[in-house]
Amino acid sequence: MTDVDIAGIGIWSERFANWDEFRDALAGATPEAAGALKPELIPARERRRAPAAVKMAVEVMDQACRMAGIDATDVATVFGSGMGDMQITDYICRTLADAPRMVSPTKFHNSVHNASTGYWSIATGSHLPANAISAHSNTVAASLLEGAVQAVEEQVPVLVALEELAAPQPFRSVIETEEPLATALLLTPKGHAAAPLAALSLGVRAEAADTPAAMEIAGTGFSDNFVAPLLPLLAALAHGEASTTALPLSSGSTLDLSLEFATAAKAAQA
Amino acid sequence: MRAAIRDRRSGLRRNDLEHCDLDTWIGRVEGVESVVLPEAVAHLHSRNNQLAWLGLQQDGMLDSIAALKEQVGPDRIGIVMGTSTSSIGRTEEAYRELLPSDEMPPEYRQPLVHNLHSPGIFVQEVTGIRGPSLTISTACSSSAKVFASAARWINHGLVDAVLVGGVDSLCLSILYGFNSLELVSADVCRPFDRRRNGINIGESCGYAILLREDLADAADLFLLGYGESADAYHMSHPHPEGKGALLAMTQALQRADLDAKDVDYINLHGTASQANDRIEAHALGQLFMAGTLASSTKGWTGHTLGAAGILEAIITLEAMRHDEVPGTLNCEEPEEDFAFGVTRENVHKPVRYAMTNSFGFGGNNATLAFGAAHD
Repeated sequence: MTDVDIAGIGIWSERFANWDEFRDALAGATPEAAGALKPELIPARERRRAPAAVKMAVEVMDQACRMAGIDATDVATVFGSGMGDMQITDYICRTLADAPRMVSPTKFHNSVHNASTGYWSIATGSHLPANAISAHSNTVAASLLEGAVQAVEEQVPVLVALEELAAPQPFRSVIETEEPLATALLLTPKGHAAAPLAALSLGVRAEAADTPAAMEIAGTGFSDNFVAPLLPLLAALAHGEASTTALPLSSGSTLDLSLEFATAAKAAQA
Repeated sequence: MRAAIRDRRSGLRRNDLEHCDLDTWIGRVEGVESVVLPEAVAHLHSRNNQLAWLGLQQDGMLDSIAALKEQVGPDRIGIVMGTSTSSIGRTEEAYRELLPSDEMPPEYRQPLVHNLHSPGIFVQEVTGIRGPSLTISTACSSSAKVFASAARWINHGLVDAVLVGGVDSLCLSILYGFNSLELVSADVCRPFDRRRNGINIGESCGYAILLREDLADAADLFLLGYGESADAYHMSHPHPEGKGALLAMTQALQRADLDAKDVDYINLHGTASQANDRIEAHALGQLFMAGTLASSTKGWTGHTLGAAGILEAIITLEAMRHDEVPGTLNCEEPEEDFAFGVTRENVHKPVRYAMTNSFGFGGNNATLAFGAAHD
C-alpha cells in the first residue's frame, strides 16, 4: 500500500468553477453558466497566449495549493491527461493539411504535453520536478499512483492535476468527450500537512478491472471524459465519507483507492 | 550504432520525408514504413508503433523480456515509455483525408493510436507485460524521466522490474513546428561549433530493463541517480543562467553520491541551437573541471526529441561497457569563449561513472547518472 494525505483539492468544469460550487452541485444546485476561465496566477500577458488546456490546469492547481495553504514553490507536479490538448492537435493537424508553413510558433510550443506544468512553473517560480503523463483511459489511476509514489519516495508534496478537453469533431471518431473537466489533488507525505482533508491509500491488484460508470453531477455524466471515473471519490471527499474506488490501471492491473478521514476532521467541509 | 560512432559515420541525410519540403537534414531510420506489426497488434498501426516494434527486435530485447517475465512474473513488471509526439503522424494522415463530415476515414478510427499513451499501449500489448503502465511526455526530457519514475517504482516495491523505453518518429508537426520557431538548420547540425545554426530532427527508439538490484546478479551497469527540475523561465527558451540544467545535474550527482570530479563522461543535450549549447556549456563550467570528457552525439542521430533521453542513455552505457567515448561529430570550429569545451574526437578510455543530460520545452530538465561495475 502507498499511504499519503490529500491536503488540497481544485476542480473546474463549465458547470462548477471550484470546490464550493462542486459541493453545491452535489447538493442539487442548478449550475450557472461558467464565465471565462481566468486563472489569476498567470499574468494577463501570458494568459492571452495560454491555451484553454493550460488555463484549466493552472486554475485547479492553484485552487488546490490555496486550500492546503502550501506554497506552490514547495510542490512537485504530475500533470495527467489521456488525450492531451486535442484543440491544439486539431489546429496543428488542420494547418499541416492546408498550409504547413503557417503553423504558429506559439501554438507549437504550447502543444507539448507538459505545457501546463511549464506555465505553472513559470507563474510560480517553482524549480521542482514537473511531470506530464498519459495512460489513455487509465490516466487518473496512473497519475495518482505516480504522484503518490513520488510523494512517499521523495518526501515531497506532489500536486496531481488531471484534465480532459472536449473532443474536436475529427477526434469524435475515436473519443466522444463532450465537456471539459479538470481536477487537482495535492498529495502530501504522511506528517507533512498539519490538517489534511483526508487520507488516501493506494494499492495495486494484479487483475483487470472495468472502468466504473461516472456519476451524474449538475445534469451531466461527463460522458467519455477520462477524469469522470474519479467523481465518486471526489463526492465522497466532499461529503467527508470514507469510500473505496477501484480503477483500471493497465490491462492486467487495478488501482484500489481508499479514502479515510480522521475522526475529528471532516476537513473537506472547510 | 557502435560501429557508426566508432567510424564517425552520421545517420543524417538531406530531408526526404514525404509531404515535407523543408530544406534541412533529418535522421530518418531506414525502412520504418515497411515494418509489419504482428497480427495481434495490427490495430495499433502507426509509424511510431512501427518504430517501437523495430526497436523491440534489436539486441535480443524480446528474449530478455521473455526471460524477465519468467524470472519475476508479468504482473511484477511495469512499463514506462517516453515520447514527445506519440502517434501524431497517424493523426496528421487522418486529417489529410478527413471526410466532408469532418470525420476521420474508417481506416483511421483507431482509439488506441490517436493519443499520447499509444507507445505504452503498444508495448504492453505486444510484450504481455501486465503491471502498471504509463507514458511520459515532457518534450525532449521524456525518455530520460522514464528512468526516474522506474527507479521510484522499484524502490517503492510497486514492481520488481520496469521496461523503460522512448520512441519518437518523424512527423510534420515537429518539422514544421520547429521550423516556425526558426530552430531548424539547413546545414548538418553542429553542436558547440561557432557556425551552429539550429537542430536536425531525427527519429529513434530505445529500451532498457531496470531490475531490482538484489535480483540482478549479472548486471554490469547501474542507474545511480537522477535529477529532475523545472527552469521556471520560458516555454521554448532555456533559463539564461542554466539554472534548471544545473539543478538537474547537481541532484543527479547527489543521489548518486558522486562528486563532479568522479564523472568520467557526460553525454550532453547539445542540440546545436544557439541558446542550448551556450547555456549548457555555461552550466557545465560551473560544475565540472576543464578536460572532463563531454560530448553531444546529435551529429550522428539528430535530435530525436522524446526518444533522445534513452537513446543517449544507451550511447552512454555503451561507452561505459566498451571504453569508447564518442566525441562531438560536426563540431569542427568549436566556440572558444564558451565556459566549457566539449570533447570533439572519440576517446578510448575506461568510464566508470557517466551522466547524460536532457532538456525540454516548458523548461523541463532531467539528468541521469550511471555507474559501471568493477571488473
